[in-house]
Amino acid sequence: MAMIIDDDLHEFYFPDYGNTTTTTTTTTTTSASEDELCNWNDWSPLMDWEALSNGQDQDFRGLFESIMDDDNASLSQLHSSPELYQHPSPQLHEDSSPELVMINHDHEEILNNSEDTKGLRLVHLLMAAAEAMTGVNKSRDLARVILIRLKELVSPTQGTNMERLAAYFTQALQGLLEGAGSKNNNVLLSGPYNNRDEHQATDALAAFQLLQDMSPYVKFGHFTANQAILEAVANDKRVHIVDYDIMEGIQWASFMQSLVSRKDGPPSPHLRITALSRGGSGKRSITSVQETGRRLTAFAASIGQPFSFHQSKLDADESFKPSSLKLVRGEALIINCMLHLPHFSYRSPDSVVSFLSGAKTLNPRLVTLVEEEEEVGHTTDEGGFVGRFMESLHRYSALYDSLEAGFPMQGRARALVERVFLGPRIAGSLNRIYRDTERCSLGNYLSAVGFQRANISFANHCQAKLLLGLFNDGYRVEELASNKLVLGWKSRRLLSASIWTSPELDL
Amino acid sequence: MTLEEPEPEPNPTSDYTLDWMEGSLSYLPSFFEDPYSSGDPYSSGDLNDDSWLDIGQDLDQELLNSSLASINYNSASSTTTATSTPLIDPIISGQKKRKITDEPNPRVSQANKKNQNRRSNEPEDGNQTVLDQGVPNKKGGGNKRGSSKLVGNNCSNGNNKEGRWAEQLLNPCAIAITAGNLNRVQHLLYVLHELASATGDANHRLASHGLQALTRHLSASHTYSVASKTMNFASAKPRFFKESLMYFNDINPWFTIPNNIANSSILQILSQQHSSNNLHIVDIGVSHGVQWPTLLDGLTRRPGGPPPLVRLTVIAPVVSNNQSLDTPFAVGPPDYNFIPQLTAYAKTLNVNLHINRIENHSLQALNAQVLGSTPDETLIICAQFRVHQLNHNNPDDRTKFLKVLRSLEPKGVILSENDMDCSCNNCGNFATGFARRVEYLWRFLDSTGAAYKGRDIEERRMIEGETAKALTNAGEMNDKKDKWCEIMRRVGFSGEVFGEDAVDGARVLLKKYDSNWEMRVQEKDRCVGLWWKGQPVSFCSLWTTDRKQNDK
Repeated sequence: MAMIIDDDLHEFYFPDYGNTTTTTTTTTTTSASEDELCNWNDWSPLMDWEALSNGQDQDFRGLFESIMDDDNASLSQLHSSPELYQHPSPQLHEDSSPELVMINHDHEEILNNSEDTKGLRLVHLLMAAAEAMTGVNKSRDLARVILIRLKELVSPTQGTNMERLAAYFTQALQGLLEGAGSKNNNVLLSGPYNNRDEHQATDALAAFQLLQDMSPYVKFGHFTANQAILEAVANDKRVHIVDYDIMEGIQWASFMQSLVSRKDGPPSPHLRITALSRGGSGKRSITSVQETGRRLTAFAASIGQPFSFHQSKLDADESFKPSSLKLVRGEALIINCMLHLPHFSYRSPDSVVSFLSGAKTLNPRLVTLVEEEEEVGHTTDEGGFVGRFMESLHRYSALYDSLEAGFPMQGRARALVERVFLGPRIAGSLNRIYRDTERCSLGNYLSAVGFQRANISFANHCQAKLLLGLFNDGYRVEELASNKLVLGWKSRRLLSASIWTSPELDL
Repeated sequence: MTLEEPEPEPNPTSDYTLDWMEGSLSYLPSFFEDPYSSGDPYSSGDLNDDSWLDIGQDLDQELLNSSLASINYNSASSTTTATSTPLIDPIISGQKKRKITDEPNPRVSQANKKNQNRRSNEPEDGNQTVLDQGVPNKKGGGNKRGSSKLVGNNCSNGNNKEGRWAEQLLNPCAIAITAGNLNRVQHLLYVLHELASATGDANHRLASHGLQALTRHLSASHTYSVASKTMNFASAKPRFFKESLMYFNDINPWFTIPNNIANSSILQILSQQHSSNNLHIVDIGVSHGVQWPTLLDGLTRRPGGPPPLVRLTVIAPVVSNNQSLDTPFAVGPPDYNFIPQLTAYAKTLNVNLHINRIENHSLQALNAQVLGSTPDETLIICAQFRVHQLNHNNPDDRTKFLKVLRSLEPKGVILSENDMDCSCNNCGNFATGFARRVEYLWRFLDSTGAAYKGRDIEERRMIEGETAKALTNAGEMNDKKDKWCEIMRRVGFSGEVFGEDAVDGARVLLKKYDSNWEMRVQEKDRCVGLWWKGQPVSFCSLWTTDRKQNDK
């Protein structure tokens, strides 16, 4: 039985985690061993860290380095560039309610008194710009003037969190304003990687690594899903995971580690992973699905995990045909659907829905779903564009704040993550809101098509809490339903992980 | 084992952005709020309280004084969405109305208009404005060559609010003030602060003046002084003032056309009188003397020469020391005096000119004695842009004044006024009045921007600062042209047709100005209208006490 949580809690305790994490980004690449340690910490699943750090770290490190591939230096360059660390932490002033100064005084005073009020001014301007772009009061002239003003005030690479965030929102609104009218605004619709011409692939990798270090978002999604899968296939001899968006495959590296290190469990089952791949150009991931498969296969061999890897191509419109899968009787079928992680590409709702509805016909043992968590009780129509715009601003500001809390001193490092992942994501997200692309909670969809909730185990919940314990206090996890954990920053819910099962199966 | 939710500690160094968001914007639609975070240190409520207090203190008094809608501070945040949308509607419907007139199919626009007008305060006026349109651009055949660019703009700019962004902030803000929606007010003030500029284009300037006016309105009493910041006539040096005014008249017909028509009309009336009569002109205007040299020239060119005596009685505005009572353009610099210069000029023309200036005498208290008028002289009243400051209801000072004028039995009355609806508190709420003031100022700033060709010079700032008084002046009790005509007839005046010379002369004069200006002469009421970009600005009318005319 793979209830890791039964074991002593001290196994979860990483005495040096904080230090190590800091080391990763604050020191230059010093000794190889330290680096390995960093990588281990960041990439390995929480519960198996201790066991694995003793033996197979070499392989795992290899996995990461092979992703880094030809420009191995960039990350270390990033780390060693001195100004990166001297960049002053943006200091906003907490006492930020200057609003009414202006009521009784001349406005020059306000304008000059910028330090205190700037964040607030930016939010007001952004909201006004959004208001001017839609609805009954629509005025392109006003929107244009506001955006001009915003551009005078902010830059994506300088200033406080709010200023950088405002810069990306300004850019995104500008894009909408210019592109308004043309339906085929592919650049905006796409996710981060469509802009990859602008970033070196190594930037993307460095940013991904930093994201992992700074925040628990990616690990939360992977670990919660993995733990649920481990529990679901505890007694199976063959496990088949169909992964909607495998990305760099890091989720499965940690999953394999968990499989092989199960204590008192049966021997490690045979693991088969089918990764869905997309034909279209311009939607390349960090690495191709083939490369991911190759690395995972090598990694599995290195730790002695029986493993095979397959690809299944989605149709041209990215819809999914269950018949394209090769299924083997006796395999525990797992459907894994990771969406909306900060570094992920945008996937069209139609594509995701076709995947999930197709999956339904296969009666999977378990469906693991990670998606953005919507604020409760807010239908898409409420507040219209401005409302959703502000919600988006709110969401990303929480994300920015959480990243800053994770790495308060590394302005430049955060700026990289923001440029590579968040900026394009903001643009895509606002574009969808503006075009009023329907969004619905996929969890609700799963429920509607007849999947049943599978219970999140106590151990899984504990694991999430322990994971967050390694990061800033501002993170919180809550069990929003019996089958769903939600990761939030402060009072803001950001990401949910939920697990589902087919009705006739009884887990 | 128990699962304990780690108590999140406030982290002062890491949650700035969130604070901005929540501190500033939790009044936003409810989707913005966390349903489960009450009592949470990060929740919007706590942070917001401070700002509420701040704004509350500043606004309380004013809002209570004006007995505006009751404000529930706590519930405002959730009701914002609901209340703000309908409030904005009147403006929107106006906007749509205008756009609709651009459509080729008049039937459709009519049908739509009916729907749109439901919320409009003066549906009839709205309709009228719309119906008048379409004519001007064809009529403006007298436009200068070489300015075809502007003629092109004429079509797109005149009839809708395209390009007029400042109003999109100012009017909603006034509406929010009227509704007592403080969060909305605050939001819009923030944005206005960012975009206002005293030296930018017409929109930036409008935002700047409008922001000052709103700020002043919001300050608990009207003691707030804008004067220190804004240049106006009274704060200018006399020489600079005069030169600037003359230069302005040279590039913008705002006053030139009314002045020109008035002078022509005086000559017209005079030609119908016995040539040996003295001429007595009562100047209740805003021309600060600069219109009279032209008249003196005209008098010398008359067949038979000037009258034996020309008396000019200037009714100076009552100086209030309270800017909110100042009629725009009425009050000049304290030590400005055009009398010696004008007298000297008359001498060079051999015109026997006597000028008398009456200070501190309210208009409605004028009488023949004060004016020193005699039955044998040709008395002509020239009232320009001043009479609208007289209360037109309760007490009806305006009718009283016009009755006094009628009792003087003048041979002619020239009345020039703004052709717009009233902005006083009795004729509409603050938002309605403010929107009208803004509309007025927009036309002035827009036309002035064109006149100065975008240059920002001190002269321009002075004259615009003076005009901006219209945003705060309590006496902006304008009426539409038709209403003025109605009152004039009621007190016993009869409308007189402007002579061909007067109209043609004005038309020729107008050609030297921006091609967005036009004159419209209406058969119905015999008035001459001055229009900017297809919208009425002012009108000139001529009245007599002739019984026979009256009976017609």
